[in-house]
Amino acid sequence: MEKKTAPLIEIKGLHKSYFNDELETPVLFDINLKIEKGEFVAIRGPSGSGKSTLMHILGFLDHHTSGSYLFEGQPVSRMDEDSLAKIRAQRVSFVFQAFNLLPRTSVLQNVQLPLLYHPTIAPSERRERAEKAIAAVGLTDRMYNLSNQLSGGQKQRVAIARALITEPDVIFADEPTGNLDSVSGAHVMEALEKLHTDGHTVILVTHDQRTADHARRTIEIYDGRIKSDTPNVKRPPL
Amino acid sequence: MRNRDLLTLATRGLTANVSRSLLTMLGIIIGVGAVVLMTGIGKSMEGVILGQISALGPRTLALWPGKQGPEGGSASLRSDFDALTFADIEAIRSLDTVTSVAPMILMTGRAIYGREQMEPSTVGATPEFYSNQKIEIDVGRLHDETDERTARKVAVIGSDVAAELFWNSNPVGERIQLGEEKFTVIGVVKPIGTQFFQNVDERIIVPNSTARAVTRRTYLDMVTMQAADDVSVDLAKKDVESLLRARHGIIAPLTGDPTENDDFLMRTAQQAQDTLGAVSLGLTLFITTVAGISLVVGGIGIMNIMLVAVTERTQEIGLRKALGARRRDILAQFLAESAFLTFTGGLIGIASGLVLMVIVARVAGEFLADYRFAWSISSIVLAVSMAIGTGLLFGIYPARKAADLSPIEAMRYE
Repeated sequence: MEKKTAPLIEIKGLHKSYFNDELETPVLFDINLKIEKGEFVAIRGPSGSGKSTLMHILGFLDHHTSGSYLFEGQPVSRMDEDSLAKIRAQRVSFVFQAFNLLPRTSVLQNVQLPLLYHPTIAPSERRERAEKAIAAVGLTDRMYNLSNQLSGGQKQRVAIARALITEPDVIFADEPTGNLDSVSGAHVMEALEKLHTDGHTVILVTHDQRTADHARRTIEIYDGRIKSDTPNVKRPPL
Repeated sequence: MRNRDLLTLATRGLTANVSRSLLTMLGIIIGVGAVVLMTGIGKSMEGVILGQISALGPRTLALWPGKQGPEGGSASLRSDFDALTFADIEAIRSLDTVTSVAPMILMTGRAIYGREQMEPSTVGATPEFYSNQKIEIDVGRLHDETDERTARKVAVIGSDVAAELFWNSNPVGERIQLGEEKFTVIGVVKPIGTQFFQNVDERIIVPNSTARAVTRRTYLDMVTMQAADDVSVDLAKKDVESLLRARHGIIAPLTGDPTENDDFLMRTAQQAQDTLGAVSLGLTLFITTVAGISLVVGGIGIMNIMLVAVTERTQEIGLRKALGARRRDILAQFLAESAFLTFTGGLIGIASGLVLMVIVARVAGEFLADYRFAWSISSIVLAVSMAIGTGLLFGIYPARKAADLSPIEAMRYE
């Protein structure tokens, strides 16, 4: 019962420093944060504010230095590498600014990549799931194209399809429109909105106010500290 | 990650850059090819040796005059070259433990017929020689006791002698010049091929008594004999040895090698086989070691290229980890790639080794009649497992380097 009532993400007094030859560079200070299942949150801040580092910690890609991070009530600092890999495989997925697709590899294979590491989805299901995810981002006619034959907007939609395929609880998007023109960017944001309305938790990291406005809640980070945490009122109509 | 996925990843890694993969595999290809080729040749040579030994028969004993070398070999055969006399032969014949005693005198000199001439190896031997060496007649007849008793100037010639001197005509009844004397050809023997690396089809056999008369020799160059049916080969050997020691006034030392003071050397077919086998095994081991070193060098090449692959694909490794790959998934992927690389190299190596072996068998078959294409499965299995072993061994370091990267650092790598 206790598990169900715990928030999806709960952070208390989280602190993060990078160490380079024992030289400490603090990045995040005393972060306190709760994110419930199904939220659409934007983490906004200028470059160097620590917003990406926060997302990497939230997304199990990086470790925090002190403080606590509870995922569904479980302390992340006590999880070993394999458990973290399992969470990355099943519970979360990422959309990166640089797309991070495998070069010289077809759209179909790029989208299927996370399933290689998924412990429960059978190989026989892969193809069907991939086709569904590709259809969801409207790229069915590009399925057999190699990733380097696509435009930037198409690449990011492939990345979204790849994030969708495991049906994760949380989708992290790090500056997903950062490398795109405004039309492609709008398509990508539309796709993320749809993920949210379908019930996924979406955590968006951006420096851009207009992109952040798509979310239902904006957390502003400045110099490694939370400056504000407000619900969005002036959300543009869908 | 599932095993089938691993195989797909490994083949994709290999085929992504075919020319680089081939160059990387070259060391392994050469190493495995050399191991397969050398052990194959060793095995073929073993066959040649066994074939030559079996031509003599397992119960054959050979006796040479001369002192043994310090290591028990026949290095100083030249001293006491005249130690074996005709009286010794008569004494050996009186033993019950040996039969078919065949004394031999080797003669030198050209064989001439008309305008044709050649340099045969001529041996003056008694008729027992034919049965000891399993020589069979093709045309005409072998010489017999009567020819021996009367020291007739008759010759039995090998098939190559017949071909060189007489072309296609029938040599039986023709007279050939052998050294200073004329001999009548009475028979041609069936082709035999090579024995102890000597083409015995280039041999001329004359009666022992005739050779003795012509050369005025008082000693013999070699004697072959058979152990009697009811005794062991070793017993027969000991019997002849003690007889000769008694006749030559030799006292065998009480300790150490009993043959140390002998002025003769006796060998059984088994001993000859063991000696030749040991030499051939030693050679095979030596060359296989050299080939094995090239496998190690090839393995280092694999390690190099896998290190490059890890560096090149650092971002990909980071991405895979972000998508849920565990440390062991990354480790397995890179190990599978290097194992697959070496395995493929090993297969190509086996194929090229076998092709070379067929070629060697063709060429060697020209002058070694008993040389047959032979290959040893165990050496192929050994070579391939060594190749995969080096692939895994030298792949571990790059694979661990890849697996230990933190996902976010790897993705940021430029």
